[in-house]
Amino acid sequence: MASPIRILTAVPICDGHDSAINTINLEFIRHGIEVVYLGYHRPVADIVRAAIQEDVRAIGISSYNGGHVEFFAEVVDLLKKKGADDIKVFGGGGGTITHDDARLMRRKGVDEIFFAGTSLDEMVKFVRERYGKPRSKRPLPKSAEQELAHNLTEVEDAKGKRSTSNKRQSGSDQRSTSKSKTRVIGFTGPGGAGKTTLIDELVLRFLNQDKKSHIAILSHDPSVIGEGALLGDRATMINSQNDRVFMRSMATRGQGGGLSPATHDCLTLLARSSFDYVIIETVGTGQEAMPFQRNGIVDQMVLVMNPDYGSRLQLQKIVMLDLADVVVVNKSDLQRAKTAHTEIEQRLEQNRPARRSLGEGERKQQLVDTVAKHHRDAGVDRLFDLISGSTKGATERRKK
Amino acid sequence: MSKLGSIVESVEKYNQFVVDQVKRARTDKDFGRDLVGRWNDIKAKIPTTRTPTGIPLPRLALPEIDEPGEIARFLFGEGLPGEFPFLNGAYREMYLEPIRETESLEKNGETKKPAAKKIAPTEEPTRLFSGLMLAEDTNERFHFLTAHQRTHRLSTAFDGPTLYGIDSDADGVFGKIGEGGVAIDTVEDMVRLYDGFDLGSANFSASMTISGPAPIIMAMYIAAAKRRFGPSVVPKLRGTVQADIFKEVQAQNETIFPIEPSLRFLTDMVEFTSHEMPRWYPISISGYHIGEAGSTPVQQAAYTLSNGFAYAEMFAARGIPVDLFGPRLSFFLDCGLDVEYIALARVSRRIWAIGMREVFAAGPKAQLYKLHTQTSGRSLIAAEFKNNLTRTAAELMLAYMNATNSSHSNSADEPFTTPSEEWIRLAAHSQAILLEESGIFKHTMNMLSGSPGMKAVERAVEAAILEEFREIERLGGVLAAVEDRYQRSQIQNAAHKYEQQIYDGTRPIIALNKYRNGNDEDMPEVKLSRTPRKKQQLQIDRLAKFKKKNAEKSKRALDKLAAVVESGKNCFPALLDAVEVCSLGQITGRLQEVVGRFRPMV
Repeated sequence: MASPIRILTAVPICDGHDSAINTINLEFIRHGIEVVYLGYHRPVADIVRAAIQEDVRAIGISSYNGGHVEFFAEVVDLLKKKGADDIKVFGGGGGTITHDDARLMRRKGVDEIFFAGTSLDEMVKFVRERYGKPRSKRPLPKSAEQELAHNLTEVEDAKGKRSTSNKRQSGSDQRSTSKSKTRVIGFTGPGGAGKTTLIDELVLRFLNQDKKSHIAILSHDPSVIGEGALLGDRATMINSQNDRVFMRSMATRGQGGGLSPATHDCLTLLARSSFDYVIIETVGTGQEAMPFQRNGIVDQMVLVMNPDYGSRLQLQKIVMLDLADVVVVNKSDLQRAKTAHTEIEQRLEQNRPARRSLGEGERKQQLVDTVAKHHRDAGVDRLFDLISGSTKGATERRKK
Repeated sequence: MSKLGSIVESVEKYNQFVVDQVKRARTDKDFGRDLVGRWNDIKAKIPTTRTPTGIPLPRLALPEIDEPGEIARFLFGEGLPGEFPFLNGAYREMYLEPIRETESLEKNGETKKPAAKKIAPTEEPTRLFSGLMLAEDTNERFHFLTAHQRTHRLSTAFDGPTLYGIDSDADGVFGKIGEGGVAIDTVEDMVRLYDGFDLGSANFSASMTISGPAPIIMAMYIAAAKRRFGPSVVPKLRGTVQADIFKEVQAQNETIFPIEPSLRFLTDMVEFTSHEMPRWYPISISGYHIGEAGSTPVQQAAYTLSNGFAYAEMFAARGIPVDLFGPRLSFFLDCGLDVEYIALARVSRRIWAIGMREVFAAGPKAQLYKLHTQTSGRSLIAAEFKNNLTRTAAELMLAYMNATNSSHSNSADEPFTTPSEEWIRLAAHSQAILLEESGIFKHTMNMLSGSPGMKAVERAVEAAILEEFREIERLGGVLAAVEDRYQRSQIQNAAHKYEQQIYDGTRPIIALNKYRNGNDEDMPEVKLSRTPRKKQQLQIDRLAKFKKKNAEKSKRALDKLAAVVESGKNCFPALLDAVEVCSLGQITGRLQEVVGRFRPMV
């Protein structure tokens, strides 16, 4: 079975018109396309970087605020400059893009411009026909980032083809063989707990702490029926759209448990690359999920909870509470946060004897309260110290 | 419980009060007699006017009722124009032309017109939105638009970089400079923008459509006015700045700081203008963009009202007296072709008045829902675009039936370009044709109010708005609902349905999905007003000069601003200092370091 088409969609910088693209995204997904949605008000550099990292077939740009001739051309030119002109560009802008503009834009390398009145069906058909064929032989990657992106695509597509075989690629899970300094941190938790925002806030701290550090993020979103998926984490992760961050969005492609069939191999690949930190985020998970248990690559497991988990009994059923190294109660400005903290603390206390007998040693599970939506939140600072292994608190550093 | 729950209760209580008054009028003889007496007095005082063809008409039309219960239902439930609860209008005479001589006056041979003297001169309810290229180009457009107007009411559109608080020299925005609005980077641009207009005059007002960086732009406006007219001009300044953060987060996506600091900067500005600039409207609570983003009419009205009440709650909590800020709040609605628009603004005006009076203890001036209406941009299409003239005219008609205080009619060429002068002129004329040429609105107030159909719509719309309030209240109030993406997802869902209805044909759009001529490639060839590269480069060069000139001073001003923001004190005075030497982008950048950037909601 062929892998789903992956495309990236975005709205240009200084443009907040996202109504059309939201509708179009939904239509693409419904027809089996995986859409990495970058959001609105996005600069050329972010769009091109994301397209290369995500290794999409094409970029769809929805522009309503003018300046489209220049903007589309800049995207095409930058792709070319980065040796990524196998990634194509198409778009539209209702009535704001005239036929004259469109002719000019096509001359500058844009594949297609859709005008007002184009049906959603026509757009889906265009994407499927134009970008659905298997790739021809790929040009040699021009950068390490591009090479990594290509390799991830190979790994992901290979998994799709051998869907019955669960055999891992040889050597891929022998992480210990290459004694890497890369630290792999896994984030999981129920949907709506604020994992994405929290990770983005941590990334900001990683970037500020060490001006040379490089970070990779492997983020997951669920596939819907018909194989499409809206991979929308980048739209929220404003700090992670940075030249020192390599981010890859993956659809679960039919696998339960919060990860994709290719996650393990992709993660292995990332862990062997030269990142200081690799962060992996699962989709919103259920109580029984333990997504990182079987890959053995994750150094630290973080469970992000919402204070509104329901009754105390519900806590007993959450398996990750047994396993997580750090439990975060995010949105701790909500009324229920204090109760949540107390109940979870008790739940973690219960684990201690069992964990000791399982050889988890004295590694105490940590409990942190955060409000990730607040800039410079003290709780997020503390969490950062815990996972970065930093000896000096982020708070102290800031005071200097 | 947020105040919204109390608002719902107050409207329900008021509706019950009206029912009780109707009953009382029918059972309590004295009360009934008083009402009939008052009704007869009102009728006797209505002046008569004469149409150009000579028939006499009352300047206020009232329902033909004489039964005390029905009189009570009208007076308490709707109110006369200009009287609580303001269903029929915020003011007594709205669009009426100066009184014409009546027959009786002529018969008596009087030459002077006593009634006419008491009537305030009518305002032209015309405020056309414009902004293009650089400040001097928009300035020229402003002078063109106001050439024949007694009052100069300018409405300013800003380009994308300005709306997002970034400078024209930022990476990747070159093609956006001066597109869709005017490029403003510094106080010097602001001086050029309104050059030649007397900013302190009672006949001048400036409206600035910007929200994310509104406090910074407002500070620039004040600084520019001071440069031209000295500090004494500040209390005389008239105008509006949009500054509506909630609707940005709900619909328009032009937010640059996280919600809480955005609201704090807004409140800082409102606190300043409430005390120092008594004629300024520091916020325009806007449903327009909610409507344009695809909401239903009811959602538009409900979110706009609830946002308004949330702001009122915030300003009151800061300690600004309600009778100081209340009269300086204004509203901005979209008017499309759906039937709800027959009464959407009427119902909004009534709910606002009741809520402000009953829940915020506001005096009469702070109860007014002062409204600017713009016809729907979303309803206009590129295919056979001249049909847009008809759409806009019908929408304008609806807006006047709702007694909007001012209006903007869209140019027919808007679906594909910044409006050109030809189509702007036609749009402006559509207002004049309806108000001045036609006799529909100029002779008689309530000309089209109170039809059975309109009343049916009023009841349905009010019930639906209150139901939306209850839902928002259940979510913990406006701020909590916004953070929960409630309004956003509702709007997106409505937008999606609207599109589907167009595609499946259940929503006819003439020349698009019905009566289409099949000539799709026939895009109208119109003269486009695009900003030449030369001008874009000029803006960048000017900005570079400004930054170089103020390099030293700007650093100090930004440090001071950051310190005030950290301290939690009102930062607006520090902003006023900063704009003298810093660009918009420099200030935004520094503030974002302190309070963070807005994280988009998807």
